[in-house]
Amino acid sequence: MDVFSSLALGFSVALQPINLLACFFGVFIGTLVGVLPGIGPVSAMALLLPVTLAGTPEAGIIMMAGIYYGSMYGGSTTSILVNIPGEAASVVTCLDGHEMAKRGRAGPALGMAALSSFFAGTISILLLMLVAPSLARFAVAFGPPEYFSLMVLGLTVLSFLTHGSMAKAMIMACIGIVLGLIGIDGISGTPRMTFDRLELVDGIGLVPVVMGLFGIAEILSNLEKSVERKVISARIGSLWPTTEDWIRSKWAIVRGTVLGFFLGILPGGGAVISSFASYAIERKMSKAPQEFGKGAIEGVAGPEAANNAAAGGAFIPLMTLGIPPNVVMALLLGAFIIHGLQPGPLLITQNPNVFWGIVASMYIGNIMLLILNMPLIGMWVQVLRVPYNVLFPLITVFCIVGVFASGNSVFDILVMIVFGVFGYLCRKFGYEPAPLVLAFVLGPMLENNLRKSLILSQGDFGIFVTRPISAVCLLFAIAILLAVLMPSLARKREVIAQDQS
Amino acid sequence: MVRKADFWSGTFWLCIAAFLVWQGRDLGLGRVNDPGSGFAVFWIGLLLGAFALSVIVSSARESGPSLADLWTGTSWGRVLTVVMLLLIYAVFFERIGFVVLTIALLLVLMLVVDRVRPAVAIPVAFVTPLIVWVAMTRWLLIQLPAGVLAGIL
Repeated sequence: MDVFSSLALGFSVALQPINLLACFFGVFIGTLVGVLPGIGPVSAMALLLPVTLAGTPEAGIIMMAGIYYGSMYGGSTTSILVNIPGEAASVVTCLDGHEMAKRGRAGPALGMAALSSFFAGTISILLLMLVAPSLARFAVAFGPPEYFSLMVLGLTVLSFLTHGSMAKAMIMACIGIVLGLIGIDGISGTPRMTFDRLELVDGIGLVPVVMGLFGIAEILSNLEKSVERKVISARIGSLWPTTEDWIRSKWAIVRGTVLGFFLGILPGGGAVISSFASYAIERKMSKAPQEFGKGAIEGVAGPEAANNAAAGGAFIPLMTLGIPPNVVMALLLGAFIIHGLQPGPLLITQNPNVFWGIVASMYIGNIMLLILNMPLIGMWVQVLRVPYNVLFPLITVFCIVGVFASGNSVFDILVMIVFGVFGYLCRKFGYEPAPLVLAFVLGPMLENNLRKSLILSQGDFGIFVTRPISAVCLLFAIAILLAVLMPSLARKREVIAQDQS
Repeated sequence: MVRKADFWSGTFWLCIAAFLVWQGRDLGLGRVNDPGSGFAVFWIGLLLGAFALSVIVSSARESGPSLADLWTGTSWGRVLTVVMLLLIYAVFFERIGFVVLTIALLLVLMLVVDRVRPAVAIPVAFVTPLIVWVAMTRWLLIQLPAGVLAGIL
């Protein structure tokens, strides 16, 4: 099938009423969690994972994908109007977006954020459509050593990019792998670290871990300090940017889109890092860098384009290699597996309706998001006025319901509470939970591919360096680990970390 | 050095690493051409130990907050209360049931932990569990425990 007939198949799937509804529900919830500080796309996707079981795989995954890219749109609203990022990828938008709002230009800031997001989102889907099938054909040649090395690279990159100490990030990755190994060993059938608890034989569930680390831990962290939210009270006015705004922003949007897409593909990269990188590039390239931080519209356009393009790019490693490049995609992998689908090189040929249905739904979802974020912006402003002390009890209840629904077990609620406290303590001590979750999902695959590689090579570790793709991945991973030891690079990494925090 | 938060977190992970190494050996390392169930656990334990040591060493070299600093000026009592409430909720979840227990939890959270006007808190606390109950059990066909209201709901 050529790209156009495949896309036609995709639209025939995406335009089915149930899938349209799933797409709308996904982008709506995505925008909502993007707008609300304290609950991000990871928690929302974990919460709704059990709900997807009620429908077809296409509907479930379309909804989950919608939550992710929808949250990228919604996050900017809170950044611009309240100066609190709705989710991590919108941190940079606070800098100039909120300054614009304070100067009575909230409308153009919100409008530019939505329009640049729409442009980047659409272009990234086009690129996804073109790149993914070719990469999938190439990925068929991947064997256990390649998969093992690629996962090692992904975890190393994520740990490198996580703000704070790299050693701490690697500790979290190690713990994630071990937690992923709890339960029956897939090769020998031996129960591992189950401590004679029947509930642990199948391993720890992804949903309670994620809801604990991202949902409950966030609530606990917010409870110990009073969060003040001052929504810009002036009328938002016209959302359409002026001609001068467009002239200033057009190249920032293009650069942000390209940069975001490619950073999104990289294992461990993603929306957060791409928005920071875009902001840094725009400030460096600007003729008036002194205006950055004081309401420069390029400082909104570039990062918003970058984080939305990255959201599109992140689908590539998942769909073509079956390897999630970030935590959100790890959850999406969970959704695929729950529905009996295995993302990877064969997904496009064996389940074209799922792959192309998701791609087509992203086009439709982007249009829905533009409508939700431009004419209906007033609705989200009202949502922002809901006080946090009303929100957090509701989020707590939704976390409990989502976790219980995922496994119909009280044990899962207890696991969520334990991981909530653990996540809260991790934040206190400067340990980021993202590498843990990604490693938790990759852990069993990583171990499986390591053991298979060693069985294949009859115990020869050389298999990882004699196969070119595997060797290149490991070489990059080692280079990253060694780079942290170089004082100049370590300092640069710390500067980025400080910027992010 | 021993007052620093990083020293204690590093020590904690070092203990976990020792446990993993022991678990790995206990599960069986196997042979290199046929790794056993404990192979990965053992090596990850060693790796974790190395990273934990590096955290401990850097805590000695660099400045950082002490354990007490992490909680200075925070409302940690509220955090502790919420954790206790959630544990009680989980223990009684199946016996008392979702609706009654959730109403109680929401009322405590909104009237005691982080105060909301009763005119807002009471309707939210009563309406939310009922809506969630209907949505989950009737529309999405996901079971929630009815508990003491088993004959009514």
